[in-house]
Amino acid sequence: MKIIGLEDQEVKANLRSAGLGLSVSEARSIAEVLGRDPTVPELFNYDTMWSEHCSYKSSRATLNEFLCTSGPNVVQGPEEDAGIVAIDDEWCVVIGHESHNHPSQILPNEGAATGIGGIVRDVNCMGAKVVATADPLRFGDPFGEDKNHVRWVAEGVVDGIWQYGNALGVPIIAGDVVFDDSFDTNCLVNVVAIGVVKRGEIVKSRAPAGAGENGYDVIVIGKPTDSSGFGGVTFASEELREEDEEANRGAIQIPDPFLKNVLFKANEALFKLTRDEGITIGFKDLGGGGFTCASSEMGASAGYGMDLDLDRLHKASEDLPPQVVACAETQERFMLICPPELTPRALKIYNEDWDLPNVYEGARASVVGKVTTDGRYITRYRGMVTCDVSIEHLTRGIRYAREERPRKISLSEPAIAPPQDLTSALLKILASPNVSSREHIYRYYDTEVQGNSVIRPGEADAGLIAPVRGKSFGIALSVDANPFYGRISPYWAGATAVAEAMRNVAAIGAYPATLTDCLNFGNPEKPEAFWEFRECVRGLADAAKALWLKGYEETPVPIVSGNVSFYNESPEGTVDPSPIIACVGLIDDVRDAVTMNLKRAGDSIYLLGPRFDELGGSEYYRTIYGVIGANVPMVRFDLERKMIYATIDSIAQKIVVSAHDISNGGLAATAAEMALAGGTGLGLKLALDAVGSDLSADRLIFSESSGFLLECKAGAEEELETLLKGRSLAIMCLGKVTSSPEIVMTHTGKTVVRLDLLEAKKAWTGGLGEAMR
Amino acid sequence: MLINLRVWLKIPDAEAATVKNTLRRRMGYEDVLAELGKERLWSIEVDETVADPGDLARRLARDLVNENKESYRASVDSVKFEEGYVPVRVGLSIEDGEAVSTLNRLRNRLGFDMVRGVERSVVWKLALSSAEPEKTAEEIAERLLVNPHKDFYEIVR
Amino acid sequence: MRIAVIQFPGTNCEHETLAAARSAGLSGEIFRWNRPAEELSDFDGYIIPGGFSYQDRLRAGAIASKEPVMDALREEADRGKPIIGICNGFQILVESGLLPGLGGVNVALAQNVMVSKGEIVRRGFYCAWTTLRHEAPSKRCSGSFLLKKGDLVRMPLAHAEGNLVTVDEKLMERLNEENQVVFRYCSETGEVDGEFPVNINGSRENIAGICNPEGNVLGMMPHPERSSFAWQLPPTDSRKCVGDMNAAGPGRRVFESMKRYIEVRGC
Repeated sequence: MKIIGLEDQEVKANLRSAGLGLSVSEARSIAEVLGRDPTVPELFNYDTMWSEHCSYKSSRATLNEFLCTSGPNVVQGPEEDAGIVAIDDEWCVVIGHESHNHPSQILPNEGAATGIGGIVRDVNCMGAKVVATADPLRFGDPFGEDKNHVRWVAEGVVDGIWQYGNALGVPIIAGDVVFDDSFDTNCLVNVVAIGVVKRGEIVKSRAPAGAGENGYDVIVIGKPTDSSGFGGVTFASEELREEDEEANRGAIQIPDPFLKNVLFKANEALFKLTRDEGITIGFKDLGGGGFTCASSEMGASAGYGMDLDLDRLHKASEDLPPQVVACAETQERFMLICPPELTPRALKIYNEDWDLPNVYEGARASVVGKVTTDGRYITRYRGMVTCDVSIEHLTRGIRYAREERPRKISLSEPAIAPPQDLTSALLKILASPNVSSREHIYRYYDTEVQGNSVIRPGEADAGLIAPVRGKSFGIALSVDANPFYGRISPYWAGATAVAEAMRNVAAIGAYPATLTDCLNFGNPEKPEAFWEFRECVRGLADAAKALWLKGYEETPVPIVSGNVSFYNESPEGTVDPSPIIACVGLIDDVRDAVTMNLKRAGDSIYLLGPRFDELGGSEYYRTIYGVIGANVPMVRFDLERKMIYATIDSIAQKIVVSAHDISNGGLAATAAEMALAGGTGLGLKLALDAVGSDLSADRLIFSESSGFLLECKAGAEEELETLLKGRSLAIMCLGKVTSSPEIVMTHTGKTVVRLDLLEAKKAWTGGLGEAMR
Repeated sequence: MLINLRVWLKIPDAEAATVKNTLRRRMGYEDVLAELGKERLWSIEVDETVADPGDLARRLARDLVNENKESYRASVDSVKFEEGYVPVRVGLSIEDGEAVSTLNRLRNRLGFDMVRGVERSVVWKLALSSAEPEKTAEEIAERLLVNPHKDFYEIVR
Repeated sequence: MRIAVIQFPGTNCEHETLAAARSAGLSGEIFRWNRPAEELSDFDGYIIPGGFSYQDRLRAGAIASKEPVMDALREEADRGKPIIGICNGFQILVESGLLPGLGGVNVALAQNVMVSKGEIVRRGFYCAWTTLRHEAPSKRCSGSFLLKKGDLVRMPLAHAEGNLVTVDEKLMERLNEENQVVFRYCSETGEVDGEFPVNINGSRENIAGICNPEGNVLGMMPHPERSSFAWQLPPTDSRKCVGDMNAAGPGRRVFESMKRYIEVRGC
């Protein structure tokens, strides 16, 4: 394509008419480095590699500035496809966290399914067995102006997730759904996957040492390449506009969980073969940026070049242009780099033992080229060289220093008269789309497949699996974030997301081992959106640093994997700042974990965490008064850390038999959920005066200041109070578990809440179904 | 009136390939079954008063057809298939939950209140070189394509 | 005594099924579907685990039922060896004519329909814990050999098509008379209630599992391998935290039964 010597306008016209998203200055810089006009395939390769999605050009600097990605338990940080953290001397947990937002808004089923497909590939290609996923979802207002479209998206996304996850055979053990009108035209579909691998069996996603010198083969495995998803990363890196919808639909990838299931098993056979033979391979999945991204990164990260022949790649049709072959995002593909001696046996595993060609038409494993030592990234097609660039230049990406400007947030606390009837306010909140039971959704999820599930959705704040037979350790997983807090303060949105994810894990008795983040924001070229991004990252980094790894003072909980999704906006509006955090926790013996359902009448209920006047963004303000407010909950780092570890320790010491964290809906929702989760007709009698605060009753029970409600075994109250006192935590014993199916709360001598649990159950279990019908 | 949408995959149809494979490699039809195609058929009953069925078909297709990977052809009241195939239409003889939810979605969520009924079926297009193609097609239907306890089939003529 | 756990493309429960069989004292291996079918005769019993073989293309279990390995299994069934099909395994056995084993295909496992108070409240895929009541006498069938009539067994289910239907009106009579109805969905206290959530998928007469006339072939929709260990149970079940990590869950009885059946038959 002609670039050199042309005017800016002409260059832009050339680029856009070819379908390229590169800016004029980016194109000129490429021509300058090459010393000639780049070919069209070369420009597409750069377009892909330099897109926001692949290169993190807007976000990398900020992430490096704030986030702590290393720690004493980190085996591998964010450099590769997934992060790895040690469980014990032998076993490690692998974590990946990704987003698939734009595609899910256009084609919800395929978009969400491909989201899961992508992230499980990332975990599997590290050599791990994928053992669980979590799905944090954000949809628009199901009762607002866009309600039909919102419900259509929500239903499609949930279908996409279960149809893919169930067929693949990976249980979904955690997740959350938040409905918020800022997501009306930009839903968020984030997915987290975890796997287990033995330390000595980790497979790297780069060309192994000696690959270039010994001419290792580059092999592509899986679905025949077609044009699906072409433009995918560019699509993800731009705002969504309706007139682009037709073109956007072409950029959606087609998922196939069946082929993926077969590929995982074949991969397992390959990994076993390499372990038995003592051969080191490089293995990576083809995701965003397709063939170009995987191959260039596998070479560059090891300091090697690549010489690849697109003719030898198995394709769905022979008349695809080279840039489509190179940059399409056909799903269910992997790339293997191995010594030539291994190649015939590797090919046999895929093409014969697992019969790929008969499992999916055109699927196979094909040798496409070699690793070289000259540092060039070369691709050939139909006998011609279509790309010959410096592999380092291509993969280095570019960095932009984006401008930031604080968004003017002029919100204020409302002047409200507390409602007369707190019981019906609580009922209304329990029925609201964001607090109601998620059962309607998780019944579609196979939460039991693999037979490792110990705690499932609906039973506690985090899911728990025992993934290695013969071992008692468990891995806990929880995801969280509150976009309404983001609307008020991006900083506190980040901090509270980390705190809440960690509280969720602590509430079952597991200790937080690592975090992942998926940062979903608007257009970073707009200074206000970029400021929101930076503020969120700062907040989540501060919280991770202050909330320490168990057993290590002053050591932050590391963030080993993550994703940034920008451009979640359309002409109608931009999404609320959404830093979605996943926390992975560990427990030595899964039988020591506790769930949130009330266990026995006569046990005592303790509140951990003073109540502050922090109702900004709360369910109470929004559902009852239709306002956002301004006093967003903050994280008091010292207090938070003490509460988290007091909860973990009191569970370990078998003093606390149930725990549930306080978040949206305040302690009132927490108490109701503990009573409703078990369905055994146990209730609560709570005296709010024990909180020792002069907040009014409604603020006391609906404030979303962080904390826990703990059920203390009858007779163990003194032990618990000693433990709390020893950590300078306020002792607030609110009352007892009763055997009458109601929740009674008193305040200053009056009964302020009398919630009949049968009525509450109806409201709570029906709410989500109402929102999704 | 009945609006028919014949929908087929633009990308390779893995299900059709598997069915063809099974018939040829496992069930003895290698010499007789030359080709096998598969289409989904939506038969949508709409009010007689619909002025522009072509336009309605287009709008229904926006929801029912995934243009990312499928093509479609609409027809009113009758459906015709190409020469050279015996088309075997298979549908559920028991209640079809997906058709019911599609009907609800079209009427209640997407506002198509002129839609009165939705029927969903699959049409297997068999290219057969046997002496009595229709008989062979019936045999194939009964041996593989249907489970008579929940499906019905008919040869579309 | 060795059993084979058959693995088709798309199967996804094979590992935990083998682990559950091992926990009951059986030894065995995972048998990939395209291994030479003759090798199957080396085994004493077979389990077809759950999943989405061939992605449920055409119809759940239909494509797998035509594979040579199923012809070999039919022969082994004729020899009286035990075969247990779980979830998709049950669907494959139905499509193969091995269950209810009265010649030809006698039933279908159709889409779940949840009926409560005369209304359809939900359809399709559903994952939840259920309780099964053993409806046959002891020793009637391989997978429930050790269970007594009326025994309750708790385990989860997760499927979209478990609704047993048939056009043969006489079939139900026959299955009941011959004690071929092995498991029915019931409440936690053992009441067989035709309404959802007890009849979790609308299945005819709450049928969750059936056997063939001989009693060596059993098919069931719920997953015994997912409640073979006590720690797998839901938190409201008091047996969950009793014993060590090997403590048995209710589902293990199915695999113990298969082992006993093989022993009694004599190898």
